[in-house]
Amino acid sequence: MTQLKVNTIKTLAYERPVIEKGYANQTLGIDLSGGTISINPVSQQMKDIFVGGKGFDLWLLWNAVSGETRWNDPANAICIASGPMGGTPAYPGSGKSIVTSLSPLTGSVVDSNVGGYFGPYLKFSGFDALEVRGQAGGDAVILIDGIDQKVEILDMPGLTDDSYALSAALTDYFGQGKKSHISVVSSGTGAKNTFFGCLNFTWYDGQRKMTRYKQAGRGGIGTVFADKGIKAIVARWNTVSLKSNNPDDLDALKTVAKLHSKEIVSLDPKQNKMASLGTSHLVPIMNDFDLLPTHNFKFGSHTGGNLIGSEVFEHIFDKGFDGCWRGCTVACSHGVRDFVPFTGPYKGQKVFVDGPEYETIAGCGSNLGIFDPSTILEMNFYCDTYGLDTISVGTSIAFVMECFEMNQITSEHTGGMQLFFGNRLDALELVHQMARGEGFGTVIGQGIRRMKEIFARDFGADAAILQDIGMESKGLEFSEYMTKESLAQQGGYGMALKGAQHDEAWLIFLDMVHNFMPTFEEKAEALHWFPMLRTWFGLCGLCKLPWNDIVPEDNKDTPEPAKVMKHVNWYADYFSSVTGRQAAPDDLIVMSEAVYNFQRVFNLKMGYGRREQDTIPYRAVGPVTVEEYESRQERYDQQLVEKYAVTVEGLSSEEKVAVLRKHREAQYEKLQDAVYKRRGWTADGIPTVATVKRLGIDFPEVLEVLQANGVTA
Amino acid sequence: MITMDGKQYPWQPGMDVEQLLHYVEKPEQYAVIRLNGKPVSRPKFKDTLVPDNAEVVLIPMIAGG
Repeated sequence: MTQLKVNTIKTLAYERPVIEKGYANQTLGIDLSGGTISINPVSQQMKDIFVGGKGFDLWLLWNAVSGETRWNDPANAICIASGPMGGTPAYPGSGKSIVTSLSPLTGSVVDSNVGGYFGPYLKFSGFDALEVRGQAGGDAVILIDGIDQKVEILDMPGLTDDSYALSAALTDYFGQGKKSHISVVSSGTGAKNTFFGCLNFTWYDGQRKMTRYKQAGRGGIGTVFADKGIKAIVARWNTVSLKSNNPDDLDALKTVAKLHSKEIVSLDPKQNKMASLGTSHLVPIMNDFDLLPTHNFKFGSHTGGNLIGSEVFEHIFDKGFDGCWRGCTVACSHGVRDFVPFTGPYKGQKVFVDGPEYETIAGCGSNLGIFDPSTILEMNFYCDTYGLDTISVGTSIAFVMECFEMNQITSEHTGGMQLFFGNRLDALELVHQMARGEGFGTVIGQGIRRMKEIFARDFGADAAILQDIGMESKGLEFSEYMTKESLAQQGGYGMALKGAQHDEAWLIFLDMVHNFMPTFEEKAEALHWFPMLRTWFGLCGLCKLPWNDIVPEDNKDTPEPAKVMKHVNWYADYFSSVTGRQAAPDDLIVMSEAVYNFQRVFNLKMGYGRREQDTIPYRAVGPVTVEEYESRQERYDQQLVEKYAVTVEGLSSEEKVAVLRKHREAQYEKLQDAVYKRRGWTADGIPTVATVKRLGIDFPEVLEVLQANGVTA
Repeated sequence: MITMDGKQYPWQPGMDVEQLLHYVEKPEQYAVIRLNGKPVSRPKFKDTLVPDNAEVVLIPMIAGG
């Protein structure tokens, strides 16, 4: 066993409660500043309104912070929760943890949904959610030991900052010979030195005899973690079975779990092959449909796209079971064995890379003009090791490369680096600089919103062009989909609560390719229903992939194939069987609506949450430059003529760009109107009093926030 | 002969994927198919010839992300 220095700051022995219908009925509070540990009850109202998972997180965070709290204040909390169905081993995708905090990038609430065993182990140890506040000295390790029924705050000096090595050492140390009993949450040096640090959540891969990782990537929660002086949070638990959640109706649970699990085993090999390709299957498809971001979202396809797609990675991925939770038949968490980095501290050593997934391939590959799988793997490995979000890293470097090519910044600003698209060595060097807190990496690590200010203020760059090409919304960097030809997806990014992440609404294919929502009202309905259903997975401790990445064979013949209602019905049955709370599909939407609107009001409490914050850069809406326009001239000319009745003859490309922009921006505004109306919000994007009353979230403090923002009815 | 989702269909010389999909109902629902194990997307349907004895799998709508 690894020998480590351990000083115990605080120990709390507790009696582990029996899990009842998916709930431990208590939460765990840690205050690092005071060195205190508290156990707090979960009320029936909390379960009825917030359900669990992200809902519990938001309620705890809401009560922890005021409107003046900033991300690096001790009052800010990191909340981690599973959900009532979290930890069910037989139902695919049931091992998720949901993390929330105030984000260093956005200043408001951010949430991230992640695999690994932590959330279930936390719950089975006796806690539906964990709330960590305060600040420690820098070497704090929190141990939640459900087996020995104790919670400890430890000081462990001398531990490495390297997230991979740290998690492996702590798994060995706390596992006491049973490494599968341990899940570790940690970050790394990149999280200390940037605003987009991620958290790594582990599980022990018994087949490969190694610790594996998934990331809570978005919004810089790893940065909050590092700022609090937390080295790691460790959960220890042992046996897991279908009975662990003490479900209300075990037989019903077995039935529905078996149905969904068997269907995935049967159909996944015929459909997207998630169990062998993971999300890498999307790369060539996105490339073919002009949706794969290349060169900072300028274009949607590239001849090199097929060099970094599933046909490559299916040969590179290590064979074996890759579920990030026990018994998940989607099993999409692939990795690469014996990869040898050619830069950085692991240069020349064999390492295991957890990934890459689609987002990393597109963000650290095509969007940087890099079509080399080895460089993508190396970026993936070091981002994880340093605790950096691959999406924000990729999108931020892409922005910088375009700024460099446009002469908005020069090698004088970049420390001599010639940051043209495709410069893979300097892209890697920037990742190392971010981790070390050195050079131009420290500028990039502040994220695009702050870079736009710095470049304009200090480097004399053109603020207007930076605004157009800086791919962030609400301060969060865009994830990796081209939205120019999908108005619904523009809304999916712009009106997402936390910023430009697609987990609320991935409508790009349904809108652009299948044309399922041709009218504004249909788009608005989609931008209501889909975010609500997707939110629901995060309330329950679930992954959304089993819902619609593998679909029933007869799904195409159903009235609304995009919704995959057979599976939604199964999820309603799943929820009912575990919690005993009878639910139909429509009830899942209403559950989410309450939490979704609460989060919108939470944004408002933090000074955001209005229409003006739901904007997106024009690069997400249409062609910013003549180069972009002319690269798809036939398409854009046709739209100007047929959709907007514009006579294009005699117009220069610059004039066409301007005319198209006027029309497309007007469309986005019109979409906002339709979505706000459908969601029961004012024209300024604020939930009305009637809406919060209907959803049962009309708490006095919610009404106060609405009133302070001029909403009284 | 072509096998598509387990059913057999006659092959014709010069047949491309777009023509092949005339055999199925609601061909517009398919944005991606797998031809002898390799994915082919709609923008390439017209340019992709289907060889005799091909195995074709119709991929349901892509909902991912």
